[in-house]
Amino acid sequence: MSNNRVSRRQFLGYTLTGVGGFMAAGMLMPMVRFAVDPILQQHDAGDFILTDTAVADLSEEPVRVDFAYEQVDAWYTSEVTSSAWVYKEGDKLVALSPVCKHLGCTVNWAADPEHPTQFFCPCHAGRYEKNGQNVAGTPPLGPLDEFEVEERDGFVALGAVKANTIV
Amino acid sequence: MHFTGKDVDQYVQQQEYVDTAVVPLVQLDLSAGGLKPSASASDYLQSLTNLLEKQFKGRVLLFPPLSYSKMADRARIAGEISGELSKTAFKHVFYVTTDPEWRAIEEAPNVIWLPAIPTENMDQSFKLSVMEDQLRQVLPVFLKEWSKPS
Repeated sequence: MSNNRVSRRQFLGYTLTGVGGFMAAGMLMPMVRFAVDPILQQHDAGDFILTDTAVADLSEEPVRVDFAYEQVDAWYTSEVTSSAWVYKEGDKLVALSPVCKHLGCTVNWAADPEHPTQFFCPCHAGRYEKNGQNVAGTPPLGPLDEFEVEERDGFVALGAVKANTIV
Repeated sequence: MHFTGKDVDQYVQQQEYVDTAVVPLVQLDLSAGGLKPSASASDYLQSLTNLLEKQFKGRVLLFPPLSYSKMADRARIAGEISGELSKTAFKHVFYVTTDPEWRAIEEAPNVIWLPAIPTENMDQSFKLSVMEDQLRQVLPVFLKEWSKPS
């Protein structure tokens, strides 16, 4: 009986270890949770905006696809309408940004009668090939940007803008 | 480009490319009967000029709308604003308005006059298609002016 008795020294040791352990855990847990949070972050498909253009209607000829999204600029929320030039390359969808790489005008497909298979910028006569490659000798210095694009339930969905990957 | 600090910074660097100024002219008629049409016309004009700026961002500097009272002396306003614009390097200046009186003002050449369309009851996509139809009427005026040998 007396062999199992807990001495005062032992009792204090257990108690302090226990309480100290709780305190350490209380501090470490939030830190660990913060550290792993980026990994647990859900990347849902909400980054893509569904347009009302059916994939079946597309061809190899670029068509303009309009879409709208909400933009918050400080205290001012506005609905922004934007567009993309979308065409099929085999089975793959290609969506190009209509923003000219020169000074940001809006480019149009086949707007120049002399170059019916190119994108044309009316501001300073910049031209781009169908894949977005800028035509040498015209003002733009780089190819048109590309949208992330995918098919969703038969319709075109557009994502973030990225540098052109098909040139 | 818009008349904001950021865009004007870019304008200052790219003056040789941005050679066109667009000045919207908005008439304020605050009488009981004129308030609503005046507000609606102002909204229409700003939507249209914003769309125009989006199309021609790299060549056009869009000024904030110039508002004046109904009985304002339009010839004087035109003289003052063109005097101010003459300090800049703009080769082309367009005034866009829904106020018919500007058509008779000689101090303001290149007035683009459009009848206002009330857009407040349209849904978003219909409004956009109406505004783009309107824009299509304005674009050739700009392209024609730019293609003129200067």
